[in-house]
Amino acid sequence: MAIKTYEEMNELGLDILKEIGTIGGGNAATALSSMLNSQVTMAVPSVKILDYNAALGSLGDPEELVAAIFVEMSGELGGIMLFVLTKEVSDEILFRMLGKKDSDLLALEEIDSSVLIEIGNIVISSYITAMSSLTGVNVELSVPQLAINMLGGIMSVPIAMMGQHSDKIMMITGDFKIDGKALDSTMLLLPDVESLNVLMKKLGVE
Amino acid sequence: MEKKISVGIADMKITRQEGILITYALGSCIGVSFYDPMIKLGALLHIMLPEKGKASDSNVFKFADSGVKETLRKLTAFGATKRRLVVKIAGGAKMFEMKGGGGLGNIGERNAQNVKRILMAEGLRVTSEDTGANYARTMLLDVATGQVYIRSAGKPERML
Repeated sequence: MAIKTYEEMNELGLDILKEIGTIGGGNAATALSSMLNSQVTMAVPSVKILDYNAALGSLGDPEELVAAIFVEMSGELGGIMLFVLTKEVSDEILFRMLGKKDSDLLALEEIDSSVLIEIGNIVISSYITAMSSLTGVNVELSVPQLAINMLGGIMSVPIAMMGQHSDKIMMITGDFKIDGKALDSTMLLLPDVESLNVLMKKLGVE
Repeated sequence: MEKKISVGIADMKITRQEGILITYALGSCIGVSFYDPMIKLGALLHIMLPEKGKASDSNVFKFADSGVKETLRKLTAFGATKRRLVVKIAGGAKMFEMKGGGGLGNIGERNAQNVKRILMAEGLRVTSEDTGANYARTMLLDVATGQVYIRSAGKPERML
C-alpha cells in the first residue's frame, strides 16, 4: 500500500523508521567516538511528523547560530541528512581535534571548517551505511557541505524541498551525548514520501 | 516594548496602528512586508516556494503567487489602497550549493524573482530589498512607523 503523505504512515512503519534511526544513529555514535576518542552515545531516536513551524520549534530557537553539515540523498532514497551542531558542540569538537577554544563560528579558519565537515561526513556516512545494509536500499550521498547560519534558515532547505507536496515534514532525529554530557547536536534524517514507500517495500511491509 | 506578532513559515499576519510583525530566520524563503502609511496598516508574508502550480494545497501562504494575492485581498478588505502600499522584501538566500542548478539549488533566487514579478504584475513596486547571498535573515515590520528592520547573524540590525 503506497502512501502519498507522511500522515498515512502506520504504526508498524513508524516503528521500523525508529529502528532504522537507532541502528543508523548507533553506528554514527561509534564513528564519532573513535574520531573524538571519547564515549559517544545516542538517545533513543524519535520519528516526528510535524508541520513546518512545529518542526522548527521542536529543534530550538530559529535565530540561533548553528553549524550544520548537509548531505543530499539520491538513488533509491531521496531526501536530506543534516547534522546540526550548536556552538557548544562545535567548540567541543574543535577543542578535542585541534586544541582550539571558543572559536567564533562566523570566523572559522579553513582547518576548522574542514574538521567539522569531516566529522559530519563520517557521522552521516556511518548512519547511511548502517541503514543501507539493514534495509538493502542503495543510497548515494552528495558531497557534504557546511553552513554556519541561523537554525531556521538551514531548516528552510529541507522544508522547501518537501514543501511542494506536503504541509508536514518527517524528521527522524537522534541526539548525541559526548562523555555523558548532553551536548546539543542532532542528527536529522529527512526522507521524502516516495522513499518511505521504497523502504517499506524492501522490508516487505504492506 | 510593543507587542510582537510572530509570522511562521508559510504564514501571514496583518495588524494596524501599532505592534511589530516579525518573521524569523528567512533562508531560501522570502518575507514580504506591505505597509499603508495613511491608515498604518501592515502585513508580513512569509512564503516558501515560487508558485502554486498544480498543487492542490490549502495553505495559500506557502507560495509566492497565491500568498501575495491573498495578502492583497485581505489588506484591501482592511481599507488599504494598492497605490499607497510600500512593499519591501528580504530573504531568498542560497543556504547550500545543491546539485541540479535548475531545481532546488537556487530556490531562493527563484523565490525572489517570482515574488518581484508577481508584485510588479499587481502594480506594486518593491521600494527596497535585501535578498540573495548565503545567510538567513529575520525581518521585522514596525506597524507604528512602517520601518522594516533586518537582523542576521554577526551583523547589527539594520533598516531596510
